[in-house]
Amino acid sequence: MTDILVVRGAVKSYGAVQALRGADLTVARGEVHALCGDNGAGKSTLIKLVSGVESPDDGTLSVAGREARFAGPHEALAAGIATIHQDLGLAPRMTIYQNIYMGSELEKRLLGIPVLDRAAMIAGAQGFLKQLGSTLDDMTAPVENLSGGQRQAVAICRALRWKAEIIIMDEPTAALGVRETQQVLKLIRMLKANGVTVILVSHNMNDVVAVADRVTILQGGRSVQARATDGLSADALARLIMDERAA
Amino acid sequence: MKSFVAKYGTALAGLAVLIFLVIFARNFASQANLLNVLKQTSFLTILSVGFTFALITSELDLSFASLCSLAAVVTGGLVHAEIAWPLAALAGLGVALAGGALNGFLVTAIKVPSLIATLGTASIAGGVAFMITGGVAFVGRWDATFLSLARGKLFGIPTLIFFMAAVVLIAWFVANRTKLGVHMLATGEAQEAAHRAGIATRRMKLIGLTLSGLAAGIAAVLLVSNLSSAAPQMAGDFLMNGIAAVLLGMTMFQPGRPNIAGSFVGALTIAVLANGLVLLGAPYYLQDIMLGVIVIGSVSVSASVLKKAAFAV
Repeated sequence: MTDILVVRGAVKSYGAVQALRGADLTVARGEVHALCGDNGAGKSTLIKLVSGVESPDDGTLSVAGREARFAGPHEALAAGIATIHQDLGLAPRMTIYQNIYMGSELEKRLLGIPVLDRAAMIAGAQGFLKQLGSTLDDMTAPVENLSGGQRQAVAICRALRWKAEIIIMDEPTAALGVRETQQVLKLIRMLKANGVTVILVSHNMNDVVAVADRVTILQGGRSVQARATDGLSADALARLIMDERAA
Repeated sequence: MKSFVAKYGTALAGLAVLIFLVIFARNFASQANLLNVLKQTSFLTILSVGFTFALITSELDLSFASLCSLAAVVTGGLVHAEIAWPLAALAGLGVALAGGALNGFLVTAIKVPSLIATLGTASIAGGVAFMITGGVAFVGRWDATFLSLARGKLFGIPTLIFFMAAVVLIAWFVANRTKLGVHMLATGEAQEAAHRAGIATRRMKLIGLTLSGLAAGIAAVLLVSNLSSAAPQMAGDFLMNGIAAVLLGMTMFQPGRPNIAGSFVGALTIAVLANGLVLLGAPYYLQDIMLGVIVIGSVSVSASVLKKAAFAV
């Protein structure tokens, strides 16, 4: 597999606090890559650099072999990197299709005037959800009526709508119950099956070993280990993180 | 059934009031009275529609009545000075539009909460209106074409009703069928999410408040044309009525959310009630009590959007 995202020697400081001290991250196209580490390890900062929220003080970032430097999330999005934050970034009282197409609505011409193409957006939303194996059928239902797993599916569909090749999921199962967590893990597998690269930021080791192909462990702003998850148990992964911290 | 009641319950209650008035208020159902009610509703509807746009983006506008008065004074003053009425009307529209844009600038660029910014603008507009008139109303025998704008009839129906219908239809179209409308809605519903989705949320708020100003300008020109006079506080009563209409409108069609159709029916309901109370011989102060009940009742029924705006203070 070719590398779709490569970060080398990323450095980022906030005043006196050095959040990243030369972090590396290599993500292969089409894989689910977990980013693990204790609190303060630098996961969030690294994700902010990759998603264009922050700029690195030093280091390089390349996407699909081309060096990139993002001035904002919109540039990261244009480069095919979408981030799904823990709060999902949805408008709860707006409908499923409105959320999926938020900011990139489809239009048609009516007597020469551009108007929203509601039918096309509903059909499109259904298509995206079907791609994820979702059984949601009423695209005009407000998102607030959906379960946590279904909301995650809507957020993922928005990323697909943006034609994202890399989807960063920040703690996607943090506030979910067992059944909904399983739904989200299924969604991640579906994304992989559709050829989408997923970067999974998670504290839940069970989730990581269940869906990730590879894992990068961060500690103190540096990447201390990058390895395949084959044969790795949740306990073993937790021990790796703890050992690195002790070291 | 529950959803039907939530969407249409208030509108049906308004319909029940209408039927009550048809039966018990003498002359209420006469053609002349109904046309008069619609005429009187038009100013309130146009102002309420403007306020709805501001509230859709989760911002308050407490200046629309004062901006309307100021725009009326500017228009009336210029017509009184025998300036060509189209120029006078444009000047009135421009002043109100600028006032709305100023609100938008204060809220989005200077980060002044909309409650404070628009209260300030209202005070300034009121002061300037008094300054222009010297506290005296402009009254005169003005250009007949100008006066026919809001006094004329088309197919036997007062032109004011056509203006109102046009404003409501255009506003409904913009709010419900265009990208601008859905971006304003997303901004009001979930500003951070909308921003992350690439929507220019500050611009949406600026547009919402500016449209509120523009509506105030349109109402002002029609008001001056209809009354053939312009006074510094002539639209003052519309503030409470407009807020009540929009809040009442939030209890119907799209419960908890400001919406154009709801604001129109809200304004109509308030005008019908006011007219009915007069015809029933009720004392004038009952109207104020009624408005208070409507405001509190509406917010109790659907508080969420207003709460967001209130928390922005």
